[in-house]
Amino acid sequence: MTGDSKRPSVEARGISKAFGGVAALDAVDFEVSWSEVHALVGENGAGKTTLCNILAGIYRADGGQVIVDGTERDFRSPAHAIDAGIGMVHQHFRLVEPMTVAENIHLGWPETPGVVSQRALIDRTERFMGEMGLHVDPTAKIWQLSVGEQQRVEILRVLARGARVLILDEPTAVLTAKEAEELFAVIRELAASGLSVIFITHKLREVLAVSDRLTVLRHGIREITRPTEGATASEIARLMTGEERVLDVEHRAVTGDPALELRGVSALNDRGITALQDVDLTVRSGEILGIAGVSGNGQTELAEVICALRGLESGSITVDGSDIASMSVRAVTDMGVGHIPEDRIGMGMVTSAPVKDNAVLHSYWTEPFSQGLTLNRHSVIDFAKRLVESARVQTRSIFATAGQLSGGNQQRLVARREALVADRLLVAAHPTRGLDVNAAQEVRSTILDRRDSGCAVLLISDDLDEVLLMSDRIAVIYEGRIMGVFDAADADREHIGLLMGGHSIAEAVA
Amino acid sequence: MTPLASIAGAVLSVTPWRLERRLEVDAKRAALTRIGGAVGAMIVVGILLLLTGRNAFWIFWQALDAIFGRQRGIEGVALRAIPILMTALGVALSLRMKVWNIGSDGQFLMGALAAVGVGIHMDGPGWLVLILMAAAATVAGAAWILVPALARAYWDVNEIITTLLLNFVALQLVTWSALGFWRDKAAAVIQSTREVPFTLPDLPGADSVTVALLVPLVIAAVLWWVFRSTTIGYEIDTIGGNPRAAGFAGIAVRRRILVVMLFTGAIAGLGGMLQLSAPGAQAMNAGFSAQFGLSGFIVAALAGASFWGVIGGGLFIASMFYAGIVLQTKGLSVYIIFAIYGVILTGIALGEIAARYRVVRRDAADETEASAADAAAAPQGAGS
Repeated sequence: MTGDSKRPSVEARGISKAFGGVAALDAVDFEVSWSEVHALVGENGAGKTTLCNILAGIYRADGGQVIVDGTERDFRSPAHAIDAGIGMVHQHFRLVEPMTVAENIHLGWPETPGVVSQRALIDRTERFMGEMGLHVDPTAKIWQLSVGEQQRVEILRVLARGARVLILDEPTAVLTAKEAEELFAVIRELAASGLSVIFITHKLREVLAVSDRLTVLRHGIREITRPTEGATASEIARLMTGEERVLDVEHRAVTGDPALELRGVSALNDRGITALQDVDLTVRSGEILGIAGVSGNGQTELAEVICALRGLESGSITVDGSDIASMSVRAVTDMGVGHIPEDRIGMGMVTSAPVKDNAVLHSYWTEPFSQGLTLNRHSVIDFAKRLVESARVQTRSIFATAGQLSGGNQQRLVARREALVADRLLVAAHPTRGLDVNAAQEVRSTILDRRDSGCAVLLISDDLDEVLLMSDRIAVIYEGRIMGVFDAADADREHIGLLMGGHSIAEAVA
Repeated sequence: MTPLASIAGAVLSVTPWRLERRLEVDAKRAALTRIGGAVGAMIVVGILLLLTGRNAFWIFWQALDAIFGRQRGIEGVALRAIPILMTALGVALSLRMKVWNIGSDGQFLMGALAAVGVGIHMDGPGWLVLILMAAAATVAGAAWILVPALARAYWDVNEIITTLLLNFVALQLVTWSALGFWRDKAAAVIQSTREVPFTLPDLPGADSVTVALLVPLVIAAVLWWVFRSTTIGYEIDTIGGNPRAAGFAGIAVRRRILVVMLFTGAIAGLGGMLQLSAPGAQAMNAGFSAQFGLSGFIVAALAGASFWGVIGGGLFIASMFYAGIVLQTKGLSVYIIFAIYGVILTGIALGEIAARYRVVRRDAADETEASAADAAAAPQGAGS
């Protein structure tokens, strides 16, 4: 099925593409070999996804050639690209949730028989999974699957259409660490069977772990293509960002007053299952307490109970000594508690509303925006302009809708807005998830500024590097329990890693 | 893409041009494309009339002359506009919160019925009775949406079905009152309620239009100000945009939904009283509402929940209906008139969609972002 192994599977020559007069890609050359995992690396907006969208027939290039297995192609739609053997798995899945795995894989597949029984669909799916060495229960409905399994179904769908060049757009962004490991194994196997895999990412560790070669894009220009062997993370980071930037965080032992105290807190998740069990935590003014843990161990619920979005089963939560358990969300915000929510778009903003309205979403009722009933448009506009400028949100206008901002800019907006609300306490849930190096540094600087001005910070992140970098103290959470709390100076990476995996302190020390 | 835009895109695919989605829809352009849609539809109607051997120019002239040629025409339009404007304003308010009040016809009828009840039973100075009638109508309109509003706000029951079905209940109640408990025993031909002996004063210089015309204008102005300059308007728009984010911002989402829905019903109910207090309309029968709720809904939907757009759209649709009646008296078939209504409304709807797209040459490379995003949203590999 695969072509001449000496020929590149896909080759892009001098690809250019502009959006609204701004060059997204400028004469980029890119080539991938058969049996190769090729990492495409760069910051948000470097042009990685644009390049792959051109290869997959979603965009058309303004200039340049796409050559697939020695033949020049002009794709006018994704269907043309898939006919030529190029398939892409997007960050956001396109699966039909109430349908089974087998039905999803057969949807729109030309080889699906016209009249077919469920049994036959399941048999065909199982056979195909066997050929590919990728397994998911074919009778399960999509909504019952974990994100990692859903991604596997997406990959199977693309492979079923005959894709021999597989493009994965930031596939690990939605995965847990364990799921990511499993994905890497799948990628290696697919490449070993002769396929080409293009792997878009901005996580350097993944590049080094999984790829054979790598290409770095920056501002729409190719910086380098080289074998991964011998490359170092700092070298790739320098090529991605154009400069070596390291955030220097000074950790401090803080003796400030406790701003936030949780005593024996237990709470349920949305399905009514215990998500937090008997949690005791204290965050002092002027310190960052980092919560380390694998996603789904109660972090979401922890952030929600502190912001009065979720009720308690038992225990107490105090901010500056006042019990907030019976307070409204508004009253907690008024105490000076800011919250960068995990789900920025779903909870943190109104995408159909202008940027200026989103800028005051958590303060519009206070001076100087409102005197009781009225909303002072001029002060909202002034404030929004300053916020957009100081947070370096890239937008055409503060009157444009927030939905038009890129993900990174939405995050900058929400992070800075909440930092300004947070006089006493900032709860930051995965504040840099999905951000490129520069944007992540800016958000981290914002959080550190709040700490240095005396605000208490609860930092929740499933990126252990980030927790270790930012925190003055670190608490490890596992299945809703706090497994241990450490000063940053005493924190041992391996030890924390074991606690995150559910090993007790005794085991971890032994 | 909307289906219509997809069809237009398919038609254009054989030409050197293509459709491209705009990132931002400018309010002025949206108004202009709607007017353009209406004008385009009238040209289509004219051509069809000419092709079927009718004198289109004479018909259009008759319509314009009937409306603008004499005071009676302008007043006729205003009289028809008042109930439509009131129901449309109620619906437009609910749409700001993405709530669909389909029951404004029922709320309108219940408001009028409450006003009848007060008007035929109370004695006193006319101004006092009229004020009490207005108050009763406002409360009755709100009461008629109370159950759907509670169900929507606190149990997430879809309001479209509940509000719609209550329209039929309201109509039955009106019929019952006209046939039964408030029946006018003197009326022989059409069964109707007794007549309310009070009417609102005429506008200065008008023959038949009362001060009722001012009410929708004042309500539109107040609503415009609320959504421009108050925190309440901001909160309603936030709930409409993203209820979860609104809750996270500390807005009492459920209570706001309840209150706003009651207001939409109250506005429609007050519309019923205004209609009832016009000279010559002071009794109710089963035909009291000439589908005013439906017309109001069309106006609100086409106006895109803009309150001044509702005023303009309501006056336009009332002109259209008035011209239709005049043309019937001039011998044009009622079926042709209904067909013309349909073509014109479709034209405005197309104009609304057209505001969101523009036509560009295929080789124009810039600003393809939005259409590319559309392509990316299509299921990959589907139909391959």
